[in-house]
Amino acid sequence: MKIISCLIISCAVFYSLAQSDTSVVKNMLLEEVVIREVSFDGIKDQFKNNTQEHLLTDKMLENMSSVTLIKRGNYAQEPTIRGLNAGQINTTIDGMQMFGACTDRMDPISSYVEPINLESISLATGPNGSQFGSGIGGGLNFKLNKAKLNQKYVISGIAGVGFESNSNAFRFLGGIQISKKRFALQVNSIYREANDYYAGNRQKIDFSAYEKWNISGNAIFAVNTQNSIVLDYLQDDGRNIGYPALTMDVSFANAKAGAISHVLKRSGKTFYALETKVYYNYIDHAMDDTKRPAELVPMHMDMPGTSQTFGFYSNSDWRFGQNHFAKIKVNGYQNDLHAEMTMYPKAGKEMFMLTIPDTRRSILGLDVSDKWLVNKKVSLEYGGRVEVSRSEITTLMGRQTMTSFYNDDLVKDNLIWSAFLQSNYKINKQFSLHSGAARASRNPTLQEQYGFYLFNRMDNYDYLGNPDLKTETSWNFNLGASYSSKRVYVEAKLFAYFFSNYIAGLKLDDYSAMTIGASGVKQYSNLNSAVLTGFEVTGNYQLLKSLQFNTSNSFSYGEDGSHAALPFIPPFRSVNQLIYNLKGFKFNVEYIAAARQGHVDFERYGDSKSREFHIMNAGVSKSFKVNRFSYIIRFSANNIFDRVYFEHLDLMRISRQGRSFELNFTFGF
Amino acid sequence: MIGIKQFRINKMKKIILSLLLGGVVLTSCKKEEVTPEEIVTPTTESKVQIDSKTTISNKTVTLFADNTNLYTGANNLYVKVTDASGAAITNAMVMYMPMMQMTSMSHTCPVENPMYSSTLGMYKGLAVFIMSSDSGTWTLEVGVDGESVIFDLNVIESDTKMVGAYTGTDGITYFISLLRPVNWTVGMNDIEILIHKRESMMSFPSVNDFDVVMTPEMISMGHGSPNNVSPVFVSNGHYQGTVNYTMTGDWRLHFELSQNSTVIHSDAYLDILF
Ligand SMILES: [Cu+2]
Ligand SMILES: [Cu+2]
Repeated sequence: MKIISCLIISCAVFYSLAQSDTSVVKNMLLEEVVIREVSFDGIKDQFKNNTQEHLLTDKMLENMSSVTLIKRGNYAQEPTIRGLNAGQINTTIDGMQMFGACTDRMDPISSYVEPINLESISLATGPNGSQFGSGIGGGLNFKLNKAKLNQKYVISGIAGVGFESNSNAFRFLGGIQISKKRFALQVNSIYREANDYYAGNRQKIDFSAYEKWNISGNAIFAVNTQNSIVLDYLQDDGRNIGYPALTMDVSFANAKAGAISHVLKRSGKTFYALETKVYYNYIDHAMDDTKRPAELVPMHMDMPGTSQTFGFYSNSDWRFGQNHFAKIKVNGYQNDLHAEMTMYPKAGKEMFMLTIPDTRRSILGLDVSDKWLVNKKVSLEYGGRVEVSRSEITTLMGRQTMTSFYNDDLVKDNLIWSAFLQSNYKINKQFSLHSGAARASRNPTLQEQYGFYLFNRMDNYDYLGNPDLKTETSWNFNLGASYSSKRVYVEAKLFAYFFSNYIAGLKLDDYSAMTIGASGVKQYSNLNSAVLTGFEVTGNYQLLKSLQFNTSNSFSYGEDGSHAALPFIPPFRSVNQLIYNLKGFKFNVEYIAAARQGHVDFERYGDSKSREFHIMNAGVSKSFKVNRFSYIIRFSANNIFDRVYFEHLDLMRISRQGRSFELNFTFGF
Repeated sequence: MIGIKQFRINKMKKIILSLLLGGVVLTSCKKEEVTPEEIVTPTTESKVQIDSKTTISNKTVTLFADNTNLYTGANNLYVKVTDASGAAITNAMVMYMPMMQMTSMSHTCPVENPMYSSTLGMYKGLAVFIMSSDSGTWTLEVGVDGESVIFDLNVIESDTKMVGAYTGTDGITYFISLLRPVNWTVGMNDIEILIHKRESMMSFPSVNDFDVVMTPEMISMGHGSPNNVSPVFVSNGHYQGTVNYTMTGDWRLHFELSQNSTVIHSDAYLDILF
């Protein structure tokens, strides 16, 4: 802690005076979903015409063009980018590294944030200059909402309530912001409760209820015009979360995250911005099988897990001349994972084992990138990252556990690197072309490296880690074109990832499964090669002044070196939306469809085929202002035709929600 | 040449890595938790005195064991011999003769005669109690240079099956037992078993020519464990191997015993609990 505070103080002392910053350089490799427009009039204006606070983070992710979710229950779905998932993508919260504590992947870290505490979600599909770590397929960063300073002293706030008919879900949300000239504070909170939902044809999905509470706070102290200190705190408490696709539910999933940052902005200078953050987060997760019918539980188990990470990053922005915008970043963190399992047989003594044997990973990375506006037509963005890491086991029991299948040194050091070059060529006012190449690499996850009989429901195998796993690397290529005019914007992208040392589970024939009913044991191994390719087409068309059409379409195709279809690869999927504004009313109609996925390999990856589906949603919202209060009411109907459907990445092919009606009310002052 | 270059690069990589990682470790509040679990090295103090007797020639014979109680299965038995003046006798000829008196008959059990251990300052031997004192009376006759004393023993049934009697396909009864003390942990453990046979009620010699295949099983879950090393003969009825416990709980060790490729018993077993 001493070192941390020294760091802050020295940063604060080292950099001094100037004016505020304005130059924001858009990153070509980054797609951003803005949840709240940055506004200086308090938070009530941020939700104008907008009821995103009521949505689940999952719903927001689902509508991003390259994101598909792995569904295990009605809550805490796991995002994949073009089908790449887990360690292949780098998911961060406001630049903070955070790792789920669940051995069954029940708690992707996206489940610990809520739209009410987010400013934006940014998505990268490969290495680029705006990320906070290494990943093959880029990553997601959930940018937390920041309190806004204001010349006048202003207090503003919102409150909301929502109801959803299908799962009898309620939510209550509230937020308050105090803005002053040199100090601002924002606190947001949401409580959600949902019962079991019904799929199409009123088929009840047991064990799909959930309950959660989330609170976040952010405070800004402007030390002077250039320097500010920012404090963030986020707490998310999940309770009794059902996972119909798994054999267990969750009794609690709690996350706490805190950060302190120093922000320096010096507009007009070569070195124009610096952000340094020190953070800590802790996740406590416990699974529960006591709500399941006794005949479905061969043996009662307790499976708690914890994850804690502390780390820092320091991002600096540079401008050289008129044409170079560079970023230099350093980041480091240490993550500790522990997961255990206690089994209670009907007769005999209880049994205990570590499933993640007290593993630790420490990482230090350096990123350098530059955006070069070569001339009026051509711009280039290029950069790279070097990362060193150490993976180890911190307890004697953990090391003893590993002797079961591994005899060598358990401390593994690794050095990985990535590099990218992206070019943009503006043919004329309307047309532009872009293309890029990147070399990406990633460390195996601690589960892939040291996991001990981790059960995978998808292929029904127990998984053993492999400390000797090699770095998974890939060459990524993309090629795209876009057309934009006053009323039309269309963009098409082709992409391909060529993997080396692709990490997948391979059968160990003479091992007996630990989990009762499992088919056998697999161990994570490197496959020589794999390929993932596909395309995305997005567009929007302003049909009339008040009528807009948006479309987002994607397709991925993946196979490994032996031509076996890769798992979790979404088929062709299309999200289309019509938005119509009339006298303060905002209507939207949404059509979502996906093709069948027949390119699967059950034998190797446990993936099964899925059917096509077509879903229609519609909604209307009205916002109005009375005196200094604003109100917004939204009514929507989802899956209007009550279709029975599931998506390809849904585990165990459990049907999604049937028809549901939603009513939201938000009030701002 | 390539080898050397490769080595240098690796070394450089290691140096860079450790320098950089040094930085991370500094910034992180280091909290290395190491739970020490030392293996207790046997000393006289760690042994428990069972009883003490005096011979006709006034030598004192004191019997020690690893625990306050003796259990069914293999037990280390130690004796200390002192002369009338209290000086330790280190070169005596010491013999163990355990005996169980039952209502209709009496019998002995597998035994290893003691040898003097200078580190312990005692004579160390072993007996495999094949029954508990519930079904008869156990005594241990200790012979010291032609004289002898008799100790009454109380043998308690072990919590789990630490010794098993199995009749082989050759009609002979074999005794398989686990050498104590055991200090099991999750993961790989050294294991030592003893195999004896019953020649007569008064003779239980060691069996030194068996091939053993060991298969651990967790009965309540029905799974086994990988990478076990079946015990192989070392000396005097002792077989050493490695057992893998993937979790704590009840384990059953199955042994297939064979001799010159003929299976003598296909499922002898011992039970473990930790
Ligand atoms: Cu879990
Ligand atoms: Cu077990």
